[in-house]
Amino acid sequence: MQALQDAAAKQKVEEKAAPAPSSSSSSIYPPVPGQESPLRWAGKKFEEIPIAHIKASYNNTQIQVVSAANQPLARTSCGTEGFKNARKGTGIAAQTAGIAAAAKATAKGVTHIRVVVKGLGPGRLSAIQGLTMGGLEVISITDNTPIPHNGCRPRKARRL
Amino acid sequence: MPRPALLRSAVAVLSPFPGHTLFSNQCAARILTMDGLIEDIKRRRYYEKPCRRRQRESYETCRRIYNMEMTRKINFLMRKNRADPWQGC
Repeated sequence: MQALQDAAAKQKVEEKAAPAPSSSSSSIYPPVPGQESPLRWAGKKFEEIPIAHIKASYNNTQIQVVSAANQPLARTSCGTEGFKNARKGTGIAAQTAGIAAAAKATAKGVTHIRVVVKGLGPGRLSAIQGLTMGGLEVISITDNTPIPHNGCRPRKARRL
Repeated sequence: MPRPALLRSAVAVLSPFPGHTLFSNQCAARILTMDGLIEDIKRRRYYEKPCRRRQRESYETCRRIYNMEMTRKINFLMRKNRADPWQGC
């Protein structure tokens, strides 16, 4: 939620969730924190639903499920699931980490989550699929990849 | 006072179908690609020297000009591709 508020270029697409009654407005944008919206998931408003942060780097994928008040609920990564070195940077490892995170989160009573993805790694899609396979319901996907406006200089180009 | 050198651009997509995240995934990916964010992120992984950057931008400009002119030409020539105007003759 803070990421949504911090962003300078906010592009939101909104659609009606299936359990909500079909009314006039149907768009893919999630409800803005300021505006009232009739959408509810398990009786909760959009701002009260826990968030699953997925950091999909090129060599690893880390998932942390946090409540709406930023209380940590579950944290897994490919490394904690028994993968090592190069195998951590795969889709299968990310899916396993997603399933494990979902299991830990459901043990704490979480049903719906909003997903925030950071990074362009191999586990970007698989981690969300793993969360769904583990039993959590993903209601929205946010991309929060850090884009520098020409900040730090990245490392030099590889010569192949 | 430290100035944040980066601003996160957040693209958020609400999922319409419970249990089917593929649709919202594709939606979010399409928005990011259409706005040129995905290729920008890929390019920023390694530093692109100014000389290489100038070459790339020149190449992209030429390619864009060529593609637009070619589609214009094709659309013009396709006007000839119509249903038989001299039917029966």
